[in-house]
Amino acid sequence: MKLKFRMYSVVGMVGLSLGEQHFIQGGIAQDLRCDGRKRLTYRPIHVETGVIPQANGSARIRIGATEVIASVKAELGKPSLSQPDKGKVFIYIDCSSTAEPAFEGRGGEELSAELSTALHCCLLGAKSGAGAGIDRTSLVVEGKICWDLYIDGLVVSSDGNLLDALGAAIKAALSNTGIPSVKVTAGAASDEQPEVDISDEEFLQFDTSGVPVIITLTKVGREYIVDATPEEESQMSSAISISVNKKGHICGITKRGGAGLDPSVILDMVSVAQYVSGKLMNKLDSEIASAEAEDES
Amino acid sequence: MREIQLQLNQTQKLRLQKVLETLESQSSIPNSDSSVTISDSISVNHEDGVLKGHGTTDHNGEVVATLCGIVERVNKLVYVRTLRSRYKPEDGDIVIGRVVEVAQKCWRLDINCSQNAYLMLSAMNMPDGVQRRRTAVDELNMRRIFEEGDVICAEVRRSQHDDIHLQARSQKYGKLNAGQLLTVAPYLVKRQKQHFHHLEKFDVDLILGCNGFVWVGEHVEARDVMVEDPVNLSDPQVLIPNENSVSLEEQDKNYTALETRNYICRAANAVRVLSTLGFTITLESIKEVIDLSISANLDIHDMFGSEFCVLVAEKEAERRSSSKRKR
Repeated sequence: MKLKFRMYSVVGMVGLSLGEQHFIQGGIAQDLRCDGRKRLTYRPIHVETGVIPQANGSARIRIGATEVIASVKAELGKPSLSQPDKGKVFIYIDCSSTAEPAFEGRGGEELSAELSTALHCCLLGAKSGAGAGIDRTSLVVEGKICWDLYIDGLVVSSDGNLLDALGAAIKAALSNTGIPSVKVTAGAASDEQPEVDISDEEFLQFDTSGVPVIITLTKVGREYIVDATPEEESQMSSAISISVNKKGHICGITKRGGAGLDPSVILDMVSVAQYVSGKLMNKLDSEIASAEAEDES
Repeated sequence: MREIQLQLNQTQKLRLQKVLETLESQSSIPNSDSSVTISDSISVNHEDGVLKGHGTTDHNGEVVATLCGIVERVNKLVYVRTLRSRYKPEDGDIVIGRVVEVAQKCWRLDINCSQNAYLMLSAMNMPDGVQRRRTAVDELNMRRIFEEGDVICAEVRRSQHDDIHLQARSQKYGKLNAGQLLTVAPYLVKRQKQHFHHLEKFDVDLILGCNGFVWVGEHVEARDVMVEDPVNLSDPQVLIPNENSVSLEEQDKNYTALETRNYICRAANAVRVLSTLGFTITLESIKEVIDLSISANLDIHDMFGSEFCVLVAEKEAERRSSSKRKR
């Protein structure tokens, strides 16, 4: 099998030399990556919540040198006609120009669109809303009124593994989200706009027990690694991003990369992702809890 | 290299603060007069006539600094030297660069500077070792020597006409193969007598480029990778780009040995930790960090933990104060 193909990645904009590529592939094959990690080890993760006071919920996550910020804004709106019992959630990602020279101007648009689609697929399930990680039925206030959640993600610094970081940031931001409680004045006619009284004091914490985490497995040679740096990403043949919730159920799968994968390989990667997700979920939950505690103090 | 930010708890922050204060008090140069910020006026003897150099400007008859840095005076020239700036090549500097383009009779390299550097074909030793004129055939075969993306170690030649020219005539210069290239801030690598280091205990080559590129890799003897044997195509060590049809199994056997790889990764992490803390990168400081991590029985990846970084800072302060006392 001819393995030689030059990857012009964002790394240095020229790429890596053959010797460096060989070194990276060797490290992954021998379970000792360039910074000493094992194949299934994440870089240090740090979480801060409540970084944007004007938003209903926000979080900043740092995985190694990758830094992303997510914010959640809730606004009152009408449920869509096709799904009257569910609220609406919109996810939009922006790759800031400060993250990479290549993102200047409109350079980051393609990546932003790709990330938004992948997050929609992983967190929101099918178009009908079935199997979604985020429970949209809890967003409905009354028959004609529901909450619309606008989730925005900003990539501040890009050092590989953006999808996992964004998934974790959205999970943390949702844990931090407080939705104001609404009182609807009764007795309004069915075709009129009901009057609402939005409380400034009482907040309901959004329920995030069902929100999944996203694990991206990058296949290099015959092995899979988790949390790839840009140099390692340039050596990948394909990558699969799997979102797993607390119960160990798969909420969404996305595949990137040109090489085809045998179905048995995909099933193997899914089981590896399930194994890794347990540890990541616990780590994230404890970090989010300590960040919230620090936020309150 | 992206910056790694340390998450320190309260006690660690205090310890690090204390260490930095100790280091500051140890620095011998009394800087009160010579360090300036923007718009500070520089005391100058106007009768002597003064040449205003980089970083200064004339403002209301006074010489005023336009940069933050240290005032340097050479005869009548007064200029401001910044502490952290882009790498400026000097003659004889050892630098590591990455090939960006293969041009006619020369290679263009990126050396982390404001311009790219040129390595002329005539400034390279020929693969067969013979000293001769470079012919048209040599020009056509330039890609066999270095390609785009290759990492090369070379020396800065006398910079002429604003261009930066490199030369790689000795055996110790040339292409770097098995290892990793790290980028640190250029001001952390000071000019010293030796930039090529061989850690015998670990069998690891360490090259500190003055431009901020640091190479950590497998030890190579006498750098004779240049010797090409066109018949010996099946040997995977000779990484000829277009004929790399080695199968996966053969590649497995040619990966760096796990023990050497261990030491390479440990040395690389030592450089990353020193760069995060902002300490000068020298052979002694790298060796210290590696020994500290081995004695603390740390896993290689745990070297990025906040506790270890604070320990490194304290050890460095101790080392500097003890070396000062010896003098």
